[in-house]
Amino acid sequence: MASNIKYPEDNALYFTEGSRLGLITKVDSDGDAITSTRKKWKAVSEAITDGLLIHYYSEPNGVVSINSSLDIDNTLQRAVVDYVKKCLYMDRAGAATDPNVVQSATLLSATHKKNFDDTIRKYGAKKRDKTGGTRVIKVPNLI
Amino acid sequence: MAVHDISVKSLISRIKQVFPDAPENYILNLVNDSLVEMGMYNTKVVHAKISTVADQMYYDISDGAEDSSGNKLEVNKIIRTYLMDSDGDYIQIPRLIDKDLLLGDASSESAVEVPDGE
Repeated sequence: MASNIKYPEDNALYFTEGSRLGLITKVDSDGDAITSTRKKWKAVSEAITDGLLIHYYSEPNGVVSINSSLDIDNTLQRAVVDYVKKCLYMDRAGAATDPNVVQSATLLSATHKKNFDDTIRKYGAKKRDKTGGTRVIKVPNLI
Repeated sequence: MAVHDISVKSLISRIKQVFPDAPENYILNLVNDSLVEMGMYNTKVVHAKISTVADQMYYDISDGAEDSSGNKLEVNKIIRTYLMDSDGDYIQIPRLIDKDLLLGDASSESAVEVPDGE
């Protein structure tokens, strides 16, 4: 079922607040503009099946057994190894009594932490980027 | 050549080279921790549809929220939002930056989180 909002780009807005998405519009259920100066923006006053489409960053699926696969691009999978090693080296540093072991484990933990940060944060955009080729800018019609 | 993927099994074997005594369950927990951390960046982009409810302003996008097909949303960061127009097409709508508007809508307050009393 289509909505009664003819021009959502002009008559509807969204915002996020914590774990909620707010959706407001300035037209009523018939699609007519709300004319009062106060209370102009209100909730959408009609039930629209599949009316809202959102694009978002989602969490990769978790793993439950050794037969699971990683739900991320293979360019980023090595970072998971770094993350796990970072934690295990830190555990080793915490459990060791020999100061030399503590020092080397801490250093190795820092190395893997840096590898993880470089892969995900520093160069992550390059690794995830799947765009290429010629580009075009489509200017909106302002008339 | 086939795409090279690191399976969880091969990941664990890589870890066991250095930490032969590390329990597998603990490694799996750490893998899940890393996936949660990586989910904060654009590692996985998802599109989902939500049905609007008449006079409801707030829609749940918490970890347990579901789309109109009953699938878990697992939203970390919303990039764009589209609203269906009168032709049934999805049109991108702008994000409101200044929320200090006279919204004047109290009918959807039941959708707002309330103190849980604990």
